[in-house]
Amino acid sequence: MRSMFLIARREYLERIRTKAFLIMTILIPAIMGGSLFLPALFMKKTQSGAKHLVVVASDRHIGDVIAQQINRDRQDNPREKEGPSMRRGAAAAPESWNIDVDTNASDANRSILSLKVQAKVLDGVVWATVENLATKKVPFITRNVSSLEEIYDVQRSISRALQRNTLATKGLSESDIEAFQKPVDLSAVTPDGKPAGNGTSTIFTAIFQIMVLYMSVLLYGVNVMNAVLEEKNSRVMEVVLSTVEPKFLMAGKILGVGAVGLTQIAIWVALGLFYSGSAVMGSGLDLKSIINIRSIIFFVVFYLLGYLLYSAMYAAVGAMCNSQQEAQQLSQLVTLPMVVPLFLIGYIVQYPGAPLSIAVSMFPLTAPLTMYARIVLQMPPWYELAASIGLLVATIYGVVLLCGKIYRVGILMYGKKPTLPEIVKWVKYA
Amino acid sequence: MQTIQLNNVRKSYDTFVAVDNISFAIEQGTVFGLLGPNGAGKTSTIRMMIGITQPDSGEIHVFGKPFERKSLERIGYLPEERGLYKKMKVLDQLVFLAELHGMGRADATAKAREWCKRLEIAEKLDNKVEELSKGMQQKIQFIAALLHDPDFVIMDEPFFGLDPVNAGLLKDVLLDLKKQGKTILFSTHRMDQVEKLCDSICLINRGRAVLQGSLSQVKSKFGKNNVQIEYVGDDNFLRETQLVGSYNNYGNYVEVRLAPGADSQELLRAVASRSRVNKFELMEPSLEEIFKEVVGKTDA
Repeated sequence: MRSMFLIARREYLERIRTKAFLIMTILIPAIMGGSLFLPALFMKKTQSGAKHLVVVASDRHIGDVIAQQINRDRQDNPREKEGPSMRRGAAAAPESWNIDVDTNASDANRSILSLKVQAKVLDGVVWATVENLATKKVPFITRNVSSLEEIYDVQRSISRALQRNTLATKGLSESDIEAFQKPVDLSAVTPDGKPAGNGTSTIFTAIFQIMVLYMSVLLYGVNVMNAVLEEKNSRVMEVVLSTVEPKFLMAGKILGVGAVGLTQIAIWVALGLFYSGSAVMGSGLDLKSIINIRSIIFFVVFYLLGYLLYSAMYAAVGAMCNSQQEAQQLSQLVTLPMVVPLFLIGYIVQYPGAPLSIAVSMFPLTAPLTMYARIVLQMPPWYELAASIGLLVATIYGVVLLCGKIYRVGILMYGKKPTLPEIVKWVKYA
Repeated sequence: MQTIQLNNVRKSYDTFVAVDNISFAIEQGTVFGLLGPNGAGKTSTIRMMIGITQPDSGEIHVFGKPFERKSLERIGYLPEERGLYKKMKVLDQLVFLAELHGMGRADATAKAREWCKRLEIAEKLDNKVEELSKGMQQKIQFIAALLHDPDFVIMDEPFFGLDPVNAGLLKDVLLDLKKQGKTILFSTHRMDQVEKLCDSICLINRGRAVLQGSLSQVKSKFGKNNVQIEYVGDDNFLRETQLVGSYNNYGNYVEVRLAPGADSQELLRAVASRSRVNKFELMEPSLEEIFKEVVGKTDA
């Protein structure tokens, strides 16, 4: 036991003193934050600028109604008003678009306007001829055919413009129409009665935390693998093994490296507390909602569980291989189940209580990230949490036992990479 | 008292038998040579002595008791494959390894400084290991094996890669340890080194002990049937197969091993009849020759 703590202490002190530790402490939140912010900032730049549209309508009046409606809806758009938004960044009154109405619905004019869109003189053309409106099939010429949001907004505005026009012809007053068209403001409330707060901001901060958790587990898991490889390659293994039992060597290594990760998290929390007063980067990242007791406790719990599970597997991979190159392929196999939650994150943040979300938060290999995601978004029932953690702990026990056996034999094997049957044999005779 | 005793120890990996029923014992305060060609099973045997692996069958007694991990604190091990933490500072490294052997921190630090002074690397204490030359790393590894003042020292190829000055320095340390009553096990395939240092040997080949005993016993067993001849002229006598069993021609002289039953005087006459003889000496075979002969025989 004493040797285990000595190993852990060495591992901890040697790592914490390195520049790499300092760099990673800064870099992980920076990269994760940046990867979320830069696209947001970029989108904001490209999207919030005034656009130049042309509404082609054989009936000038309907053309005007559509043009006005598009700009009116832009002011009213709840997505725009909401403020900190994942997609658009900070709240700012959306600029009005410059919308011309053109009554020339000839094919020749259509080609000319299309060319202008192509040449970026125009941003879009709504082809709202009487026939098109009657059949309710309106072409929208735009360069951004993939910008679903923008297309949806224009589509909705045209529909509302038609409604407005119809209601006006039925004799409703302007203010009646205004009242009729005013959208309902839906405010989400959690079952325990608290206001859900800012939806997109919650999702944003949740994704940020999950990415940081992912990076921490991955980084320190791989660190354990590299530590094993280093001892194997430098052959210091043999000296250490002449006094230390392999299981204590592996345990000490995992503890020491894991403690480095905990230290890093502690630094993040401290920095977070320090800065939580100020709005970080004037952005959607809501530090106050991250830095609360519940998130911190569960972050640490799931970091530890995830780290224990994966670092044991990485240690076994390190023991099986002779070089980093060799270990790379195998370690990718280990990393794979950890990446799965990242693909599902979009789904989980939207439907934290859906069967798929529950399933992946129970499956031990994906549980650390996905259960934490669920906790951040919507506290799951206690029995689901207990089941997830219980399964995880049981799996960790099994994996550590198994990987410990592979480790014990592997660290003394040099030369060629073992085949699967050989590894099975190791497990049997260890 | 016997420091270590192996009784019919056997270890196999899958179908390969690395150590096949080896038995030997090492008396306290003696230097023992574990000899054999590469891949003979030396390292496998040592690994079992220090509990890195367990024997499939047979017993190992250390310091008069069946093997227990506690004994490892009294054993120092210099592995053949040298290895240190490259990024760690020399002093930290030595203290860490000594602590693993049960030493206290302050004690280990003081002893490490002492040893580094003795082996003339005191000025490198604060350097990282990777900044040092190979010879210096060797010395540090050597210190790491001895820092906790072990009663039993296992050295696998201790002089490998050292220049004569440093090899001499380490040899003096080892002889000093022997004087203090420590037991030393050498594992090597370099026979010339063993001859100068060892009290007794065990020669293993392909996992089996093929020759063991005290150095004088082993040598006398092979008798004085070696002849060193310095001559000028014709060397046809070397092909007299009734007289010459085998020979090593070193250029300036030739070492002849007499054929079984051959008379050395007859050989002298055969040489003298055709060439000038400057020297003709009957001598004990060198360990290297014994090694070659025994290994050659068991391989055949």
